[in-house]
Amino acid sequence: MMRVRMLLGTAAVAVAFGMWLAFTSPTDDLQGEFSRILHIHAPVMWVAFLAFGVTALASIMWLVRKTARWDRLGEASAESGVLFTAIGLFTGMVWGQAVWGRAWDWGDARLASTAVMFFVYVGYLALRRATPDPEMKARRSAILGVVAVVQVPLVYFSVYLFRTLHQTPSIRPDGAAMPQEMLVALLVNFAAITYLFVALLVTRLQVAKAEADATTDSRLAGDAVKPPRLSEVKDV
Amino acid sequence: MSDLVLVIGTFAICYAVIFGYAAYLHMRYRRVKG
Repeated sequence: MMRVRMLLGTAAVAVAFGMWLAFTSPTDDLQGEFSRILHIHAPVMWVAFLAFGVTALASIMWLVRKTARWDRLGEASAESGVLFTAIGLFTGMVWGQAVWGRAWDWGDARLASTAVMFFVYVGYLALRRATPDPEMKARRSAILGVVAVVQVPLVYFSVYLFRTLHQTPSIRPDGAAMPQEMLVALLVNFAAITYLFVALLVTRLQVAKAEADATTDSRLAGDAVKPPRLSEVKDV
Repeated sequence: MSDLVLVIGTFAICYAVIFGYAAYLHMRYRRVKG
């Protein structure tokens, strides 16, 4: 757990540095102070995509290998992905209310597809709690983990497929549509929040491993410690 | 000024949720391991 504390501590420092850059970098002329929200909104959505990608990969590995640690990785990553998607939706709504004049629009392809992705992965976590059988739980969630990841490219490319309210990415292969100072701050925040995701993932995996070991221990103890038979109980 | 306060508040809520989740995970680990 010492390693986990180190990871979380350094992630907190990295995030604090990213925040300092976010609040000292120049703002957009039209969006004003609200353009700073993009320093958290874009990185958390990238991390959510990454997390669901890791869940899909772990799900494939479980279907091939059938080992519990791939199942634990899939669950841990999906849990972080749901958390980061919720934060992405929240920050997007705050930004949208200030800049677009509305927090939510079901007619927007990016917003609607992100909401659907969020609820599908909440469903993934609910599905895991639907059965106590570890084998069945792992199989069902592995299949959903592989199928649900289709939404990630759909959400990402929705701004190109449907030209609605949400803008296309500001960082493209042909360059970034922002000043150098703002770009550096954004990239630092991308790195810091990705590192924070890795720290959370490692922490969650440690918890899952400890809980699985504790369950195995109690099962073993349950076999070893049997209630006395009536014939063995002497009268006192 | 009020815009900046709203933006700082948004950041604060987000990181409070994330590090709150990390603290919850840490508590769960401590409960299992003692």
